[in-house]
Amino acid sequence: MTLETVGFWVVAVVLLASSLAVVLTPNLFHAVLYLAAALVATGAIFLLLEQPFLFAVQLLLYAGGVVTIVVFAIMLTERLVGERIRQTSRHLINGAIVAAAVFAGIAGFLLQAPLATPRPGPAPDATVAIGRALVGPFAVTLELLAVLLVTALLGALYFARGEE
Amino acid sequence: MTSVTLPPVAWHAIEAFIVLNVLLGLVAYVTLLERKFAARMQSRIGPYYVGRPHGWLQPIADALKLMMKEDIVPTTSDRAVYNLAPIVFLVPCLLIFATIPFAPALGVADLNIGVLFFLAVSSLEIVGLFMGGWGSNNKYALLSAMRAVNQIISYDLPFIFAALVPVVLAGSMQMSAIVTAQHGLWFVAYPVIGQLAFVAFLVATLAAENRVPFDILEAESELVAGFRVEYSGMKFALIQLAEYAHMLGTSFLGALLFLGGWLGPGPAALGPFWLLLKAMVIFLLVTWVRWSFVRIRVDQILAISWKLLMPATLLLLLATGLVVATRGAGGG
Repeated sequence: MTLETVGFWVVAVVLLASSLAVVLTPNLFHAVLYLAAALVATGAIFLLLEQPFLFAVQLLLYAGGVVTIVVFAIMLTERLVGERIRQTSRHLINGAIVAAAVFAGIAGFLLQAPLATPRPGPAPDATVAIGRALVGPFAVTLELLAVLLVTALLGALYFARGEE
Repeated sequence: MTSVTLPPVAWHAIEAFIVLNVLLGLVAYVTLLERKFAARMQSRIGPYYVGRPHGWLQPIADALKLMMKEDIVPTTSDRAVYNLAPIVFLVPCLLIFATIPFAPALGVADLNIGVLFFLAVSSLEIVGLFMGGWGSNNKYALLSAMRAVNQIISYDLPFIFAALVPVVLAGSMQMSAIVTAQHGLWFVAYPVIGQLAFVAFLVATLAAENRVPFDILEAESELVAGFRVEYSGMKFALIQLAEYAHMLGTSFLGALLFLGGWLGPGPAALGPFWLLLKAMVIFLLVTWVRWSFVRIRVDQILAISWKLLMPATLLLLLATGLVVATRGAGGG
């Protein structure tokens, strides 16, 4: 087993365990911390695929940004409500069945289509390709996303604005 | 060169080990530098007696003292979170040094996304910070953690935009390429854009490091010591270590991005020395501000970020893009 394979299994175990912990722990704050761990582990998968750019973006946006905002939300709401909010996960068994079915479906699909030829490795520097794609074929998508974010921002402002 | 045949992984590990230890020593002595500098500014002498004549042994004495102190865990704390927080806080602060080259080809890893890696990893620091604030289960610590999250959301973007100006000027995110692009002209001397970006970088650095005038999250008079109020002994030492390591790392980043990195007169072997000197200049600039200004209010901090720094750095980045598009990249 190469070092890379060992690394993959370690990251995979961490990723699965922390993802499960996100939905199973009753403590909301712990759930966010497990989420941070899961997002960093996802970044590590990108690193194993030799895509350091995606790794850095994953860390910056998700682990650094999204988690921060979620924590902020929890801290603010708990202060407003004045008590600890518990996470309650209902329908655990049904959820597990659905998840297992999805896993079986994807695994079956992947096993049915074995990779006949070894795929060419990823481009050595995908950063340039990603940049060109964002201002080229996906320029409209990118701008639409920006509009969506501005709309969300305006909506948040509307709700946060006090009575005048 | 050498008769020892080790796998490349082992060499990388040894290299990382050496860099880490040199840095930890450096971090310890940076605290002494700050104390002496602050003392000078206030017409004091500063540490003196431990290691006469100028307190050369003070950092070592401090470390020994902190190691021997009692480790207190508050009974109402969230034990696991409380105990893990200093480590989660420290790891990103040490990881940022992974992409910092100290001379051409002297560093742990000169990634082609070096600057982005630095920014991404240092954004993880906040996780450890609010783990400490929440895990302590102390209202001051929690308030401090909330203020920290607030401030870091606000100042992350201006910091990134300011750091991206040299990236756009050099046309690369690789630290060594950015330094090479400054052969003709350091980016801090680039007409108008360079100076503005450098000032924005310094202000955002002050805020990202939670230094006075942006240190509302550890405001002594209202929050005691902020999110670390419950920490003692070695855990407190780890948090302090992380803060100074982050400060040192950001100083190195500033020296590489704006002050020409290891470029300087004399033979190439002097490179690490020049880099260290420039990083210390930035560190002392930040320290100078810290010991000269008063703390500002939370709404003023947010206003500076969202109403001034954010639009300014964004416009600066656009202007840099325009300049590069018309004149071409590079420091000339």
